[in-house]
Amino acid sequence: MFDPQQTPAPNAHRAATWRRYLRFWGPRAEADVDDELAFHVDMRARDYMERGMSEGEARRAATRRLGDLAQARAECIAITSRRERRMTRAQLVDAFVHDVKFAWRTLGRQKGWTAVAVITLALGIGANTAVFSVVNTLLLHPLPYPNADRIAFVYLEPTRGNTTGMSVMVMPGMQVVRAWKENARSFEAFEAYMNEDRSLRTTDGAPASVNVASVLPSFSEFTGTKPTVGRVFTSRDISDGGHVALLSEPLWRGRYGSDPAIIGKPITLDDQVYTVIGVMPVGYRLPQLEENVSDVWLPLDLRNDSIAVRLVGRLRPNVTMAAAKRELDTIYARATEKPKALETSQFGVKLAAPSELVSFRQSLLLLSVAVALVLLIACGNVAHLLLAKTAGRQRELAIRAAMGASRIRIVRQLLTESLLLAVAGCVGGLLVGWLGLEALVAMRPDSLAELAEARMDGTTLLVTAALAALTGIIVGFLGTLQTGRFSANDALKAGAISASQSRHQRRLRSMLVVSEMAVSTVLLVGATLLIRSIIHLQTIDPGFDASRLYAIQLPLRKQYPNTEGRQAFLADVTGRMRHVGGVEALTVSTAVPGWRSFLIGALQIEGDPLPPTGTTSFIDYSRIEPDYFRFMGIRLIEGSTITDTSKAAGQLVVNAGFAKKYWPQGSALGHRLRVVYNGQGDWLTIVGVVGDALTSGLMGDASRPMMYLAATDSYEPAVLFRVAPNVDPIPSLRALIAQADPRLPSPTVTNVESVMQRSIARPRFTMTLLVTFTVLALVLAAVGLYGVMAYAVAQQTREIGIRIALGATRSTIASSVLRRGVLMATAGAVVGVVGARWASKLLESMLYGVGRTDPLSFAIGVAVLLTTALAACLIPVRRAVAVDPLISIRAD
Amino acid sequence: MPDSTTDFLKGTLDLMVLKTLSWAPAHGYGIARWIEQCTDDVLQVEEGSLYPALHKLEERGLIVAEWGITEHNRRAKFYRLTAAGKKQLAMSRDYWSRFAGAVFKVLETAPASR
Repeated sequence: MFDPQQTPAPNAHRAATWRRYLRFWGPRAEADVDDELAFHVDMRARDYMERGMSEGEARRAATRRLGDLAQARAECIAITSRRERRMTRAQLVDAFVHDVKFAWRTLGRQKGWTAVAVITLALGIGANTAVFSVVNTLLLHPLPYPNADRIAFVYLEPTRGNTTGMSVMVMPGMQVVRAWKENARSFEAFEAYMNEDRSLRTTDGAPASVNVASVLPSFSEFTGTKPTVGRVFTSRDISDGGHVALLSEPLWRGRYGSDPAIIGKPITLDDQVYTVIGVMPVGYRLPQLEENVSDVWLPLDLRNDSIAVRLVGRLRPNVTMAAAKRELDTIYARATEKPKALETSQFGVKLAAPSELVSFRQSLLLLSVAVALVLLIACGNVAHLLLAKTAGRQRELAIRAAMGASRIRIVRQLLTESLLLAVAGCVGGLLVGWLGLEALVAMRPDSLAELAEARMDGTTLLVTAALAALTGIIVGFLGTLQTGRFSANDALKAGAISASQSRHQRRLRSMLVVSEMAVSTVLLVGATLLIRSIIHLQTIDPGFDASRLYAIQLPLRKQYPNTEGRQAFLADVTGRMRHVGGVEALTVSTAVPGWRSFLIGALQIEGDPLPPTGTTSFIDYSRIEPDYFRFMGIRLIEGSTITDTSKAAGQLVVNAGFAKKYWPQGSALGHRLRVVYNGQGDWLTIVGVVGDALTSGLMGDASRPMMYLAATDSYEPAVLFRVAPNVDPIPSLRALIAQADPRLPSPTVTNVESVMQRSIARPRFTMTLLVTFTVLALVLAAVGLYGVMAYAVAQQTREIGIRIALGATRSTIASSVLRRGVLMATAGAVVGVVGARWASKLLESMLYGVGRTDPLSFAIGVAVLLTTALAACLIPVRRAVAVDPLISIRAD
Repeated sequence: MPDSTTDFLKGTLDLMVLKTLSWAPAHGYGIARWIEQCTDDVLQVEEGSLYPALHKLEERGLIVAEWGITEHNRRAKFYRLTAAGKKQLAMSRDYWSRFAGAVFKVLETAPASR
């Protein structure tokens, strides 16, 4: 009879294991359950047969008795599979935990080694984190609005003739704006806005200049902002005349003590009275990429034809920029057809994503590449550290291999170690990145104020983590490249590493160092090009004297609509300004030095045919007083300055660049020309040629053609004046102007000297950052080279000892060690120079006065690299020379 | 076999399996036969529910399975009680005894007055 108390046979376990292996790739659960049930039926049938049934009968009875076989089977399989999945998972987790614990112990044993590796990774990752935070804020999230990825700026740009080297935005006429706003279906929101400085007058205090933004009622919905107090604009506000205003929270706090009773009170802007209806929080801002703070908000009336507005829209989901542009094109063509519009076929509709218009974009892309290269070098270094360590652990690994650890298992162990390093590097990198970002923001030039908004957020964290993981994998992969090559047998032998082994290793390591040197060369050359460019900008002769030069722009548009009034007021004010203490000299111009102003039209030299309609170019110009050149210190080359300011005289002075461009031979004097716009333009006669001057900023091109015209009448003339050293007449000048006409908005005062310096602040900032990253890269690469050399010397101690014992002189030893280091550095430099020639394209738009293939910059870059490489070899060479043959031969 | 017995069996099958295995490891058929023999074939183990019950007990960690060879030199899956299974058995057994005792009392006790 059957005895259930029997114990399994002694070979039970082995059979099960064997079977399990056979089924490793197959559906184990199904087969097991089938076997088990088949066994049951067999046993039951055998039982029945013992009781006298025939075999077939017994089998049928047994099967019948088991009942619904399919259901039992399915149930069993489900339970078992579930359990097995859980077990596999548990096993994986267990193995992972074990790997991590083991790696942790290994790394903990070599604290110095681990510290170097983690710091290297932290620097590499941190540099990327810092730069990415800026990219993330400025390029990826330039506007703090909902669904910002669908926002597009809309403007017109000249389709041809734009020779300015800058992108020119042209604001469309209001009839076009209205047509777009009413008809464009591609946009779910289409906003128009403008802003200007105006004078805010309150009952108590003096007038203050405030920035006033005008927006449509829908703007608060567009920005997703709700008022702190009160309400936002409605379309009724506009139909009622628009005499309502919103205050910004800072203004409300600063001027009205956060008094909620401000709602319903009147404020006076210039001469007009507005009723305050609400207060908007700080986040309410115009879609301008530069830092912008508006103090007061007014409703914008699109029916007003005398204004110029900027446009921004949010595309409907799934509408592409191209499709939206096509629609706007059609509406634009229709709207400009009938009425004689200002813009003609010379302008095209342009849609731009906010990130396209970020001015620092090019620099950011460059810096992103630079930090990526730094990280590559850091990876190289850590991979090299791992290689050296793995070589030292050859015996440990060999023993583990001999004891049955598979290659996969060992590689996994090494990968875990490098990933653990990467995790530590990630944490360190976040710290370094945070500090770096703080430093970067603190160092920002005034003209990059928007950088202050850069911060680390969830995306930054994610990207850093991803970067660290990638680093860990790259490093781990490089570090384990050689494990495939070792044979347990060789490694266990007394002499430690076999010759072929060390040759493979050495080649791999040399390759790493050569790559690091090459990458460093690229960065070095790039940095040198930028440095030379900045030096050029700073030492360049601007062609005029900017020292202690100021400009005050008088906003006369509203209060003095006619020429006579403006002239009289200007004469009165300048006459009085001359007598203010500290003002040394004074002139009037329409352009403020440091900024550019253009005449738009086609240039026609007398004798040339009329340029075809539609030809447009941008010609730098300024309207000046006769004493302008003397005042500015611009040299008169030939002829005279403007002597007759009347329009009829049509006198014109050009710069040397202009004269040279159109009259390369002979004098430009006496020639006549005109600027044709819409078929019209007055003839002008060249009476003088002056020296080239960088009045449009240091980054301009001094020889760019420039025209100086008479008649300084302008809605916003600029009074240029030079002040005595150590005197600040600005407050008294402001008071004087406010006294001359209290209705005038507060004028803009510009310190030309600092504007000129500021015009190169951005490239200098970019340069500083690039140089910082380059130095970091160079130091890391030098550490890498040092590591390889020191390791090689340590490996060859015995060989060196023998050579010394056999009579090699110390200088032979030194030169043989040095040769290897110099060889690697030179190889790297050669590859790097090729790379730099290619990569300098990225820099091209940022270079001034140096070509992107400037040989001197390349030479300097290579020289710095080789010098650093030599320095890195110094200690290993000294160590090699100091080898004592007796000790080294006896060792081991 | 009346239906009531089968239902009754289902609830107690786990307990009986654990008890059977408390003597020694056994395969599924062995467990079924042991229960039948013990109860003089009063309780016929319904085999359609025995195997799912075994796999569930295995999943719960009360028993473990191993493939082995029977005395007839056949490969069979042997189940063995784990420490957790032993604890569970003691608990269920205690509960079951009290429950059965209570049921028995109800069945045996005549009304006090009629």
